[in-house]
Amino acid sequence: MIEKISNVNQNVSSLGQGSQKKSEVDFASILKDALDKVNQVQKSAEQASADFALGKISNIHEVIIEAEKATIALRLTNEVRNRIVQAYQEIMRMQL
Amino acid sequence: MNEFLTLNVSASGMTAQRLRIDVISSNIANSESTRTEQGTPYRRRVPIFSEYLMGMGRVKSSGVKVTRIEEDPSPFRLVYDPTHPDANEDGYVSMPNVNVLREMVDLISAQRSYDANVAAFNVTKAMISSALQIGRG
Repeated sequence: MIEKISNVNQNVSSLGQGSQKKSEVDFASILKDALDKVNQVQKSAEQASADFALGKISNIHEVIIEAEKATIALRLTNEVRNRIVQAYQEIMRMQL
Repeated sequence: MNEFLTLNVSASGMTAQRLRIDVISSNIANSESTRTEQGTPYRRRVPIFSEYLMGMGRVKSSGVKVTRIEEDPSPFRLVYDPTHPDANEDGYVSMPNVNVLREMVDLISAQRSYDANVAAFNVTKAMISSALQIGRG
């Protein structure tokens, strides 16, 4: 289960460098890594719109594309989070 | 991420076409300019597009970029107008080698290419969105 989740997270973490995570790395750090990457994308979208307001970028599509990337990354994160919570609740409902 | 790589490829196409429209606009604006800093009439400018590889690792995609903006070497248009201050002894004026009709056609082509890149971007985005729907229902 955890291994499957970390596979999904590797997709997120391959945004920046292609560092191969071994499965012995604990889940929390992988999750933190992935969230950091998503945060980076959000920040660069914010930076792009600030640069556009300051007149540093003349191409509107660059701003929009950065915003789209941020949206997609956030949706993926949210989707992964939902699956994890679902799995957790499934385990918690188990009869002992 | 591969999806983002495709988005970047579409973005490079949009940037290139945007620059092409800028160049065409300056050609149209200067279609009557008989003087430039070099002393000759304005020469029509053409952006040179070239492929460049994006992404690292196994997956490589071809983006596009404008490597340089070159000048069209074709001869200037000669117009007979002895009253023009830049006319030569025979009364002919060298006008820029810009054909406004051709520039308009290029403008339409650039706009359509830009739209095509936007369409490719949207298709990629729709694919990512439906991938996020997997297993939901």
